[in-house]
Amino acid sequence: MKRFAAPAVALVVAALLVTFPIWSAPWESSRYATTILRDMLVLAILALSLDLLVGSAGMPSLGHAAYFGAGAYAAAIAGQRLGSDDLLLGLGAAILVSVVLALAIGVVAVRAAGIFFLMLTLAFAQLVFALAFQATDITGGSNGFSGVRRPMLFGLDFNGPDALFQLVAVVFLLVLLLLWRIRSSAYGRALVGLRENERRMRALGYDTTRLKLSAFVFAGAIAGVAGALQAYSIRFVSTNDVGVARSVEAFVSVLVGGASTLLGPVAGAIVVLFIERVLPSYVPYAETVLGLVFIVFVLAARQGIAGLVRVAYARVRS
Amino acid sequence: MIQTHELRREFGGIKALAGVTLHVAEGERRAIIGPNGAGKTTLFNVLTGELEPTAGVVRLAGEDVTGRRPHELARRGVARMYQRNELFDRLPARDNVAISVAAAAGPYRPFRAPPASELAAADQLLERVGLGARGGVPARALSHGERRQLELAVALAQRPRLLLLDEPTAGMSPAETGRITQLIATLDRSLTLVIVEHDMAVVLRLAERITVLHEGRVIAEGTPAQVRGDTLVNEVYLGKVVA
Repeated sequence: MKRFAAPAVALVVAALLVTFPIWSAPWESSRYATTILRDMLVLAILALSLDLLVGSAGMPSLGHAAYFGAGAYAAAIAGQRLGSDDLLLGLGAAILVSVVLALAIGVVAVRAAGIFFLMLTLAFAQLVFALAFQATDITGGSNGFSGVRRPMLFGLDFNGPDALFQLVAVVFLLVLLLLWRIRSSAYGRALVGLRENERRMRALGYDTTRLKLSAFVFAGAIAGVAGALQAYSIRFVSTNDVGVARSVEAFVSVLVGGASTLLGPVAGAIVVLFIERVLPSYVPYAETVLGLVFIVFVLAARQGIAGLVRVAYARVRS
Repeated sequence: MIQTHELRREFGGIKALAGVTLHVAEGERRAIIGPNGAGKTTLFNVLTGELEPTAGVVRLAGEDVTGRRPHELARRGVARMYQRNELFDRLPARDNVAISVAAAAGPYRPFRAPPASELAAADQLLERVGLGARGGVPARALSHGERRQLELAVALAQRPRLLLLDEPTAGMSPAETGRITQLIATLDRSLTLVIVEHDMAVVLRLAERITVLHEGRVIAEGTPAQVRGDTLVNEVYLGKVVA
């Protein structure tokens, strides 16, 4: 029985998530909650992809929004220029552009480590931001890129808010599944080896530069998918999506939620967006709360929410 | 198996290696001794590709491998037991060895759990170095002696042709020293061993030939008996130790 307990719970939670707009319909604020939850899931995908670098491989990227934004612009622009609202085309364009960008930046960045890697990724992301800001005829510059068309797939129309939510939820679950698989694979273990001792990895015969680049590109691709979903969600792409604030949002989500775990970045994304988007309606100075929460976690709970849950669980069991 | 010619390595103006020519035959067990600062660890760092030589040539099984990067040399069969352990501290001992076993198949297997054979091979190696019951313990929670044993297991898991041992018994208790020395002595005879060691009892137990390094140069080489009889060696190294 116990063997089936965890998968069964996961399945029920997944089903509840995808059907959220349906069973929450009687609520007065169902539509609002659906929108917030959708954005939380998008940020969660971004945070999950970033955690592959920060948590698993020990590569603290502070420029992850570059690939998110690249994916958002790519999906939006490809859809408009080609006059197509095919979901696969949009996601394909997002993945292609973010992979090429991550490859170009990664080739240089992964040769640095620690704080230097962090500064390099930040600097490159600022470059991408400036590019998006100034290439007004492609990106719309500071006016942003509006009128993003919502996608279709095999006759399924994701134009309605509920359908779009379900698309985001399904992609989120697929990304979660993919990363869960990768974490327990030889590849995931090799990334942890990088984090723990890169010198030893080299001495064992691992080409660590290539390994880091592969992780960087893979994380970039998933960030690109998150970006495309964001563009579809709000039907608008702006330079904010490639900006440092978005990078920091993802980074804080990982750290508050708990790096190097699967559910940590998800929990972090939920907390961060809750504080940013929901709390201001109830509490004055809500933005300051995010800062305080971050400080508390950095000072007192380095393992994040996931770490606290683990400690609490161990205490309950003993 | 490993051959160097006039190997030089300078740090700023300091000559850590001032022209080292060395020839270790396949299956040989060679000790390299010498006072601190003689260049032993620098020599190892050059042999594993972690340092590029300023000048000179390194040949591995006849192939010029000078300037090759560490992972390329590792794939050609060079493994190393570091003087100061280089382990995956937060991972269980078993995973430390399993990552080493898995290096041969490479890391690009993202969708499947590592095969059971890799873990079985890791467990077998742990058993062999005397850590059979400690597989689940994180490397950082092991005692110093156990960490040295794990370090050896990780190196052996690479199935090397050439194994470089940098002070394998450093910091070990006499009992632990005896055990690891015995273990190294019984390794497959086809494996070429190069051992840097200060403990002369260990050197005499393991090595067939000894190279004495002093100020970045080879000042003597030969069987243990020959080296012991060398007056220069006694002056710069053995004399100090005995006295």
